[in-house]
Amino acid sequence: MPIGVALAITLAVARVYGNRPISLLATSIVGIFRGFPAIVTLFIIFFALPDVGVFFSPYWSAVLGFVLVTGAYQSEYVRGAIQSIHVGQSLAAQALGMNKPQEIIHIILPQAIRAALPGISNEIIYLILYSSLASYIGVEEIFAVARSFNSLEFKPIEIFLTAGLIYAAMATVCFAGFRTVERKLRIPGLEVAR
Amino acid sequence: MADGEVVLKVENLHKSYADIKVLNGVSFEIDRGQIKVICGPSGSGKSTLLRCLNLLTYPDKGRVWLEEQEITGQISDVNKVRQKIGFVFQEFNLFNHLTALKNVSIALEIVKKMKKEEARDLALKELRKVNLGEDAHKYPAELSGGQKQRVAIARALAMNPVIMFYDEPTSALDPHLIGEVLDVMKKLAQEKLTSIVVTHEIGFARSVADEIMFMGGGTILERGRPDELISNAKHEMVRQFFRRMNELYRREGE
Amino acid sequence: MATLAEFLPYILSGTVWTLGLVGGGLAIGFIIGLLMAVGQVYGSEEIKGFVHAYVWFFRSLPLLVLLFLFYWGVFPATGYKLDPLACSIVVLGLRSGAYQSQIFRGAIISLGGTQLLAARALGISEPKAVFHIVLPQALRISMPGWSNEYAIMIKDSAITFALGVLEILTRTRYVVMATHEPLIPYFFAGGLFIVLTYSGTKIVNVVYERTKIPGLVGRM
Repeated sequence: MPIGVALAITLAVARVYGNRPISLLATSIVGIFRGFPAIVTLFIIFFALPDVGVFFSPYWSAVLGFVLVTGAYQSEYVRGAIQSIHVGQSLAAQALGMNKPQEIIHIILPQAIRAALPGISNEIIYLILYSSLASYIGVEEIFAVARSFNSLEFKPIEIFLTAGLIYAAMATVCFAGFRTVERKLRIPGLEVAR
Repeated sequence: MADGEVVLKVENLHKSYADIKVLNGVSFEIDRGQIKVICGPSGSGKSTLLRCLNLLTYPDKGRVWLEEQEITGQISDVNKVRQKIGFVFQEFNLFNHLTALKNVSIALEIVKKMKKEEARDLALKELRKVNLGEDAHKYPAELSGGQKQRVAIARALAMNPVIMFYDEPTSALDPHLIGEVLDVMKKLAQEKLTSIVVTHEIGFARSVADEIMFMGGGTILERGRPDELISNAKHEMVRQFFRRMNELYRREGE
Repeated sequence: MATLAEFLPYILSGTVWTLGLVGGGLAIGFIIGLLMAVGQVYGSEEIKGFVHAYVWFFRSLPLLVLLFLFYWGVFPATGYKLDPLACSIVVLGLRSGAYQSQIFRGAIISLGGTQLLAARALGISEPKAVFHIVLPQALRISMPGWSNEYAIMIKDSAITFALGVLEILTRTRYVVMATHEPLIPYFFAGGLFIVLTYSGTKIVNVVYERTKIPGLVGRM
């Protein structure tokens, strides 16, 4: 997950600040991984890549797939946040003699990430739910376990409801957690100053 | 401090945006210790001029020298040039995610590579100079407009620039807050900090400026000592401008 | 490669089913979402509570789990026999309703209470005011968020492969199993989804531009 965030930031910065070739590359990467359904991405990594000689275990296929997908979605949030920052912040940074990397790292990103936080936390919660898809490439996660229980003892409502509620609990806990994090990181007036 | 030493020389600056000619051949010089005020109606190119001088925008034609170094040619590091110029914006442009103290010290740390403690101490000193020592730990959103602008001035000062640019520093302020900022600027002017101030505050100009340059239509229409220009301008447009300003403010000196 | 070319049209024909899933799901979601949004903004505390719980449930459980829950559990329990396609549409619709209710709710709230007040002042009763004054504006403002929902739906429709619905992904899997060539089919499927997503959102944007109320931009 943290890798996804890091990837997202890199992609977003590349899209906004990169020169044409880099920006285009980043935009297409984002476009592809947002456009493909997550499950398709997972299948490609696990089933299709071996054809070109790239092998990943089920678990790592899932990790890679989700990192790419969530990174792409999150980069949209980060990009929006970066672009929402008043141009005056950049001007002030330049007027003080900062170069582009310094300006981006010390001035723009700290503000952008705070602004993108609600979106990013939302994405991570989606991730928790969509992890159920990993069961179809062989990962032994909650849904996979639920299905095997169901084939042993056919009690679909109890089994799937329980499984679903486990996911729901995780999601809700994360959601509350993120709200606390957001509150802690909040800077007086920053949410208003968009 | 050698008087008569030219800090900034501007020669024949031109700048257009799309089809609009904003700067149409501006030239002037400013010596060390001088305070020059630029006045004029909106759209006359005043802000653009300042931004061309510290290379936030690049002029189409013309040359600028900062302390003998030509900055409009091929320069190795535009950032080094900007470090020597202190810029105060109309909209303050304080870094929202940093405290007042950090706003002032961050450039010292990143750009001038000062140690954290050194930068902090210097920042605190500058903040005290603008009467904000106690508010150093507040965030921009917690400060009034006048306080924000003073932090902005401290931030620019901390870099120890050779010249200060003020781009309509009080235009975004509520009337009762203008005074505190002007007082700080006056104090700095008295310390002979070379400055170019773009402003409508005639009273300020009259009390501290060595010269007023009036801009209109992209050029300097007239320049001269404050009392001459304000009451006795030669150019018709300049005369009208000051007459209207006097009517508006009915202020006698400062 | 020759055999592969034969199979691609097969995958392509899955598009009809995919669109059916999406269309049905969005339609059901639209009705449910609209009703719930109105209920959440103007309704009693009980209604608000119900909506809140509904939204929480359908947004916190993974789609995959919901599909299985309903297909193997809920529907058989009620005695109805639903085929995978119909069941999928229902589940997608119920879930989409939860999401759409929040979109509409946001739009209604962003309009502020003033529109309703003005209508009441003119003597229009509350239900009529909501229907004739608030909703037309709210619906237009919602469009950008709605195109997002469409995009998500297109991709979620792929998950119904788990129930065997003959949409794009299911067919792709069959092709892969038959030809043992996973690379091209999956990329083809992915590309197909992108095309569907892109054209759909384009259409919604065009509609939005045509019916936009000048100057009225929502919180999206």
